[in-house]
Amino acid sequence: MADGARVDDQVADTLRKLAVVFADFEQRLEATPLIRKLTRGRFELADYQLFLINLRQQVKDGALWMSRAASNVGEAHLELRSTLMRHAVTEHRDFRLLEADFVCSGGEVEVIRSAPKNVGSEAISAWMFHEASKPDPFGLLGAMFIIEGLGSIKAAPWGRLVKERLNLPDEAVRFLLYHGENDAEHMQEFEEMLRMVLPDAAVAERIVMTAKVTARLYALQIEEIAA
Amino acid sequence: MPSSMLRDVYITGTGAFLPGAPVGVETMEDFIGRIAGRSSAVGRRALRWNGVETRHYALTAEGRPLHSNASMTAEATKAALDDAGLSVGDLKHLATATTQGDYIVPGHASAVHAELGAGPIEIASYQSVCASALMAAKGAWLQVRAGEADVAAAAAGEFSSRWFRPEFYEGTTLIDAKGRARVEADFLRFTLSDGAGAVIMEPKPKPDGLSLKVEWIDLTSLAGRFDPCMWAGSTFADRADMKSAWSHAGPVAAHASGSVALVQDFELLKIVIRAWIGVWLEKVDLGRIVPDQVDHLLCHYSARSLREEIVSVLKSTAAMIPEEKWFSNLPTVGNIGAASIWVMLDEFMKSGRAKTGEKVLLIVPESGRAMVGFMMCEVV
Repeated sequence: MADGARVDDQVADTLRKLAVVFADFEQRLEATPLIRKLTRGRFELADYQLFLINLRQQVKDGALWMSRAASNVGEAHLELRSTLMRHAVTEHRDFRLLEADFVCSGGEVEVIRSAPKNVGSEAISAWMFHEASKPDPFGLLGAMFIIEGLGSIKAAPWGRLVKERLNLPDEAVRFLLYHGENDAEHMQEFEEMLRMVLPDAAVAERIVMTAKVTARLYALQIEEIAA
Repeated sequence: MPSSMLRDVYITGTGAFLPGAPVGVETMEDFIGRIAGRSSAVGRRALRWNGVETRHYALTAEGRPLHSNASMTAEATKAALDDAGLSVGDLKHLATATTQGDYIVPGHASAVHAELGAGPIEIASYQSVCASALMAAKGAWLQVRAGEADVAAAAAGEFSSRWFRPEFYEGTTLIDAKGRARVEADFLRFTLSDGAGAVIMEPKPKPDGLSLKVEWIDLTSLAGRFDPCMWAGSTFADRADMKSAWSHAGPVAAHASGSVALVQDFELLKIVIRAWIGVWLEKVDLGRIVPDQVDHLLCHYSARSLREEIVSVLKSTAAMIPEEKWFSNLPTVGNIGAASIWVMLDEFMKSGRAKTGEKVLLIVPESGRAMVGFMMCEVV
């Protein structure tokens, strides 16, 4: 009973700190040139295509760093390892969906496949693989909170705005539109993952710090999209 | 100045002024009028969403004004002075808040001072939306705290209904081909109404009866990161470009473009709500607010459904103040913008709920351009 309360306290504390990081992250995103264009009604097809090109490289890496992180989770946390592996399997083809959206919006598949990472994507990718290469890389739960939060909270409203402004069919906006489903389920699953590694003050601190760095680098990635 | 030289500050009186008789849901549209003679398509939905059952208008059912914003604010100030056992002659500093005063120039405080008929005093006008109430409160609090004034009033008034009359919309781009107002404009017509509230601050508690020691007032503006969310003075498309504001276009062109009426961006509002919650959670995290130590929460919110959305996030992050500690009179007085928090505090203080030693937290979020204010008090 007492132990249960201690776990719950630290889970709630960590969730609160993560929510504060996410709020700051969302505000930074709102102030980037690309998202300003989108919300101010000045978004064009070229902006959308640049958005997809720049997201693709990082989305492709997502399942890869998650797999690497899973391979570094020790025997004491097998359940977390399973969860990360399932996540990686679910997501490792998402970049193909992004490519299909790009093609449906009128782009050439070779263009999106061959585009280099932008400065922010380079930074976030390097950071993720670096963290994932450490033993028991639990801090990455903070990165997942940021990136999955983006998917479940921001992607679908962005997708609807893109579709409306550019008059595109659903088939050209699937990656953005199909995120955001099962938001409550995602949140519950995330809480369960936190319970697998908490209470542990050092881990809790590392999760929040990893979320902060990830949020800053992710915002840099969006900022770098020349809008 | 060393903090030892700062004085403690107490709210020694509260006052409210609600114009006319309570108006029920059935007849609200009579008071604000029907655009192009047709009933609103969103009115009933807005009222259900907002959870307002009765409210007050400073207009007759024919749309004739019964008061001015200034006269209502002055009435609330007098009521607060009376509650403190003081009179107009005792007032040394008047800080006023409103969304839109009766005049464009000069400030609301001048108009309220004139209505009060007080002798020479110091005044300050604070203008924004709901959170302007706490801007004025912080000003008044600092005046007393620093020893500049011994009796200060923070007063807020709103006369929103006159801005919702049909002539603000007819003949503008806010009306579609079918003669209906855009929902972003029409919804607000059923969200806001009229009234005023005030508090009196002094460096010592009232000799008899309860006072509130004001421990701190924090205001956070996030305008650097957001476009306007609720505004008057620009079109939807150009709202981020200040050079396109109504004042550059001139009054006739501005009216035609729909720049004069009050409008709200509902998509942005969802994001701004998360920003407010972020500020709240950060205060909990830093220990500025300890939820378990708050005995009464008076949170201004425009709609019951917004409250529900906020509650679910707070619960999962241990930042929730249990709902039985929340006090609100939104259903009976409606959303009165900047005046809401003082009208709520006045009813709370007169309800007999406050007990000596209890902590009362006031929260005023403002969608205008993303702001939120907090005020922590202790009942003494």
